[in-house]
Amino acid sequence: MIDMIEKEDPVISEEEAAQYDRQIRLWGLDAQKRLRGSRVLLVGLGGLGAEVAKNLILAGVKGLTLLDHEQVHASEESCRAQFLVPVTARGQNRARASLERAQNLNPMVEVHADSDRVEDKPDDFFLQFDAVCLTGCSRDLMVRVDQLCSQRNIKVFCGDVYGYYGYMFCNLGQEHNYVEEKPKLVKPTGNSNDGPEAKKAKVDPNETTMVKKTSSFCTLKEALEVDWTSEKAKAGLKRTPVDYFLLHVLLKFRTDKGRDPDPQSFAEDSQLLRQIRDDVLEALAVSGDLLSDDFTSYCFSEMSPVCAVVGGVLGQEVVKALSQRDPPHRNFFFFDGRKGNGVVDFFGPK
Amino acid sequence: MVQLVGSLRKELADSLSTCKVLVVGAGGIGCELLKNLVLTGFKNIEVIDLDTIDVSNLNRQFLFQKKHVGKSKAQVAKESALQFCPTANITAYHDSIMNPDYNVEFFRKFVLVMNALDNRAARNHVNRMCLAADIPLIESGTAGYLGQVTVIKKGMTECYECQPKPTQKTFPGCTIRNTPSEPIHCIVWAKYLFNQLFGEEDADQEVSPDTADPEAAWKPEETAARATASEKDGDIKRVSTKDWARSTGYDPVKLFNKLFKDDIMYLLTMDKLWKKRKAPTPLDWHQLENSACPQEDSPVSGLKDQQVLGVWGHCQLFQQSVETLSSQLQEKGEGAELVWDKDDPPAMDFVTAASNLRMHIFSMNMKSRFDVKSMAGNIIPAIATTNAVIAGLIVLEGLKILSGELESCRTIFLNKCPNLRKKLLVPCILDPPSANCYVCTSKPEVTVKLNVHKTMVLSLQDRILKERFGMVAPDVQIEDGKGTILISSEEGETEANNSKFLSDFGIRNGSRLQVDDFLQDYTLLVNVLHTEELERDVEFEVVGEAPDKAPPPQTNQEEVNSITNGNKDSAQPSTSSKGQLQFLNKGKFVSHHSSSSSDLKQQLEHGIN
Repeated sequence: MIDMIEKEDPVISEEEAAQYDRQIRLWGLDAQKRLRGSRVLLVGLGGLGAEVAKNLILAGVKGLTLLDHEQVHASEESCRAQFLVPVTARGQNRARASLERAQNLNPMVEVHADSDRVEDKPDDFFLQFDAVCLTGCSRDLMVRVDQLCSQRNIKVFCGDVYGYYGYMFCNLGQEHNYVEEKPKLVKPTGNSNDGPEAKKAKVDPNETTMVKKTSSFCTLKEALEVDWTSEKAKAGLKRTPVDYFLLHVLLKFRTDKGRDPDPQSFAEDSQLLRQIRDDVLEALAVSGDLLSDDFTSYCFSEMSPVCAVVGGVLGQEVVKALSQRDPPHRNFFFFDGRKGNGVVDFFGPK
Repeated sequence: MVQLVGSLRKELADSLSTCKVLVVGAGGIGCELLKNLVLTGFKNIEVIDLDTIDVSNLNRQFLFQKKHVGKSKAQVAKESALQFCPTANITAYHDSIMNPDYNVEFFRKFVLVMNALDNRAARNHVNRMCLAADIPLIESGTAGYLGQVTVIKKGMTECYECQPKPTQKTFPGCTIRNTPSEPIHCIVWAKYLFNQLFGEEDADQEVSPDTADPEAAWKPEETAARATASEKDGDIKRVSTKDWARSTGYDPVKLFNKLFKDDIMYLLTMDKLWKKRKAPTPLDWHQLENSACPQEDSPVSGLKDQQVLGVWGHCQLFQQSVETLSSQLQEKGEGAELVWDKDDPPAMDFVTAASNLRMHIFSMNMKSRFDVKSMAGNIIPAIATTNAVIAGLIVLEGLKILSGELESCRTIFLNKCPNLRKKLLVPCILDPPSANCYVCTSKPEVTVKLNVHKTMVLSLQDRILKERFGMVAPDVQIEDGKGTILISSEEGETEANNSKFLSDFGIRNGSRLQVDDFLQDYTLLVNVLHTEELERDVEFEVVGEAPDKAPPPQTNQEEVNSITNGNKDSAQPSTSSKGQLQFLNKGKFVSHHSSSSSDLKQQLEHGIN
């Protein structure tokens, strides 16, 4: 959809120019215009969702739909879970409760709230969006939506935060086109008419040129179903972030329990996590040593600063994809908040 | 049994709710940081910022809305943060952290200080205050897509000033006045011109051709002769630029012809300059007027400011802005001065026009107002996501500190693209304090090379002690056996000394000065090395460091560090533009990353005064 020639009004208003000045100076006017023509669906308004919402609204997309069927939980914890939901909103739908503050972040963006379940949305619901971002969703749901959307050239993003850990995945389609700004090569032109010593007028060293590039992505299903039994895969394990396997464990927990690890049931959940870890690593035919017991203490609840980091990276990836500018991270980003490590790696068919 | 409150161990969660932390700055990083602190469970937060909200902040400083423009950042940030956690205890100060009210005792109230600043002077100051109070400091910075976070703990890590940081890039006077070769030279010239015509006249901001340019002399003896001649004549003008302009009634055409025709023709007589360079071509107002094409109404598909005007367009812009500025000046009355501000349209128009006319004269491609504003105003592009990531990392480091896990603290760099080891976020071990640091060692000492006969006491105070060595209120005593007081931080006490030269006080080669800043609890011993041979335009040199002008070649990771620590040397609010200088930080960690260097290069080269 975004690869089509811009159909919107080419003129950028004074208000937009003033407000977006500092980012137009970074990514250019064309990128800002493409953002301004993009509609995004954001599923899940937990801690991570709120960060992504903030980042996309501030960036100046055309529209952002907040989709979440959950209610704001009546616990002190919940009020501090994210910053878009007022403290008085207990019992309300999370998307609707976030709407007002989200809209106030930038009145120039059309923000909508939808309290339906993602699962209940018909396929063509997704067609109105240029990008879809899924947080807090089960593995099966993510796989299904990813399949559905990427077939229709809709950019797909997934992300979650579990305590100190977080990840982002993206599928920008088999042929994602973008531009990259490179410095212009200044060729010295020798002109004998100017005399042997005279130099040509200097070209501004800051001049750059836009180079067109393409990147190819696989589906989430392919990314999660990498075969580790081959010799080549086993050899590559040493350089593989263990976060990938941690993700499998946490997604399985979510599928089995219908929720994420809960601080209130720390003891049972920790035990279950260790069990799932054993099962998952065995099923993937990799060593049980890859994930030590440590992780179980640190993957409870959405940590605000971790949401900020993952939400920042994820938000920027959405901006890059919509504006078709700069190389996308391909195809996972993993963040370990205890080590301060943030890695980008590709998982999927070679 | 491990007990969790949310993601955190109970002991940690409990300490968060009782401890007090200080956030210095409520802008891009500050807003994100405040949000993270509150949501993580910090209950007692003090935040300070001297600035007010501007519309260009709204793309990232999300605690502010359009209706808040003009209000105090610290105050509005506090109010917005309270919205999502009414039980938090937040104190806001609309003030400068360099105000002596915020003394060591003030800093000691906190278990942790977090900087969210955009200028080096304030960072130096907070660094010293935290060393004095022995409080851990988390330092950070962002620029565009890049960012970094680090932890400073007295005795354990490097302090902020352990590594010499290349100071802002300055250009030699003759490049600005005689032989500009890049747009930035023309822009600096245009800003000098603004001050000469409408603002505070500064002897270091000459715009007229420099007859004493060493490059202009065919024989070395000539340079000396020219220099003497120009000192007598006052650089080919006998009256100040402002007085001359006033005498013409600020006639734009007369100004134009002097600056862009007569002065250029004078430069052409200095023929040696043009032997290996393309010579400038003087402009003639009336010629341009007559040959100007009628304005074509091309569809504006971009920002108006991004259009590049033609020569005649710039002539007209020059005329309009001169007329507006001169009448503004007149309105203000006798002895009035205007201060250049990138957000003041006629001031910005003037610099756009004057710099472009000069670029054209020197065969450079002209630039749009948008681009000139970036360079003239030292604008560092900024987005919400980079600040969000950095602020998240700050809190994570803070939690390590509060858990007593200082050894696990790191410097973390945020790159634009993953490096060869696939890392987008690169944590690095913290370095121990530098043995040569002139701030955090037990008896800091430096050697300064200067000319004792030509350096005034005021220069020592302002340029060397305050600007270069980051002091706020220095007291200087000469170690001459008599303890002669050279400078007192008490107002008025040593004012009479200001215009005297150091040699007048018996200061000579080998003299030692004891400098104290009582607010910063900092004593520096300055060894004086007298010299008569300093480079042109250089007033002093700190011995043992690379010269100011050419930062040594850096690796990619060091380039990343270079621009992420704010674009200003002075602590003026963004809403004023005095003393806007590029701040560069040369980091030590070396790693490879494959990001495109053009963005970095652009960012590095912006922000030059």
